[in-house]
Amino acid sequence: MWAFLGSDVMFFGAFISTYLVYRGKSLVGPYPSEILNIPITSVSTFVLLMSSLAMVLGLHYVKEGEKNKGTLWILVVVILGLVFMGFQFVEFREFAHLGLTPRTNIFGTTFFILTGIHGAHVTIGVIWMAFLAYSSHNGALRADNALDLEIAGLYWHFVDIVWIVIFTVIYLISANDAPPPGMESITH
Amino acid sequence: MASLWRKLTHHDGNGWWNLPHTASNEPNPPYEGPIGGAWLGNIWRIFTHGGVSHAGPGFYWLIGLFLAIVTLVEVWLFGVEGLGSWYIPLLLILSLLKFVGVVAFFMHLRFDHRLFTYLFGASMVVGIFIFTLLLLLLEFGNQPPN
Repeated sequence: MWAFLGSDVMFFGAFISTYLVYRGKSLVGPYPSEILNIPITSVSTFVLLMSSLAMVLGLHYVKEGEKNKGTLWILVVVILGLVFMGFQFVEFREFAHLGLTPRTNIFGTTFFILTGIHGAHVTIGVIWMAFLAYSSHNGALRADNALDLEIAGLYWHFVDIVWIVIFTVIYLISANDAPPPGMESITH
Repeated sequence: MASLWRKLTHHDGNGWWNLPHTASNEPNPPYEGPIGGAWLGNIWRIFTHGGVSHAGPGFYWLIGLFLAIVTLVEVWLFGVEGLGSWYIPLLLILSLLKFVGVVAFFMHLRFDHRLFTYLFGASMVVGIFIFTLLLLLLEFGNQPPN
């Protein structure tokens, strides 16, 4: 799993670099400063961080042989993952409503590809966790084979740390990227 | 309140700061504190992989609280005016703190075999190096000759 995560670092690094290379090069709006909603994204970031906490607690209790607590915390991971996906769905829909799609400008293309691929990783993680919650509930996931959950947990935490970088680079740093001088009135 | 504190920070009667020591190269030893017996005396061992191993739920809650507080500080910084050129470095430092918090403690890298740290660390170093070169090349590589 660590080798896979190492390769995934390169994978996301390529998309984050692409975003940075093309940052501020959009010729038409909407621009980041006009569209990014930091308070909402902060809440979804908090949700994902807390899902990592739930993950590590779930693993702890499964290793302890406390089946019910383990199942409960894995279910919390699933629920928080779904909440995060819900935030992302609402954000994408809102952006589309405001005229930003992957085809609108270079910001839209790089933004949707990066956050969309991250969202796909979250979706895979949620499905994986749902299976593990079911396995824990019916007794197939126990202390002696908790490595299965630990490996899934590594994947889930990795998705979390990628979002830490995305939240900083795209949202907090780029949110002040205003339209180029003279382009303020040009929107899609 | 005292009972809640004990539930959060203790396991089998021991606080997470005072749990048995186990060599860091043993995979996933149970019930170990992240810092060890003597707080200050063991700080060096934490950074040198000579410390002790796994933590309990109380420690994980504290890390979660730390991550939440750092996120709040980041959002607060977003609204602060007059930071100027300090803004981006401050955000990057806070982001790095969260990154290390999750990787070291939630992903157990701090407690696992060093090979995993080398594997993940090497991919981070290679990735950052390649993508920094790419960014520099695209920023300065296409300058027209004078």
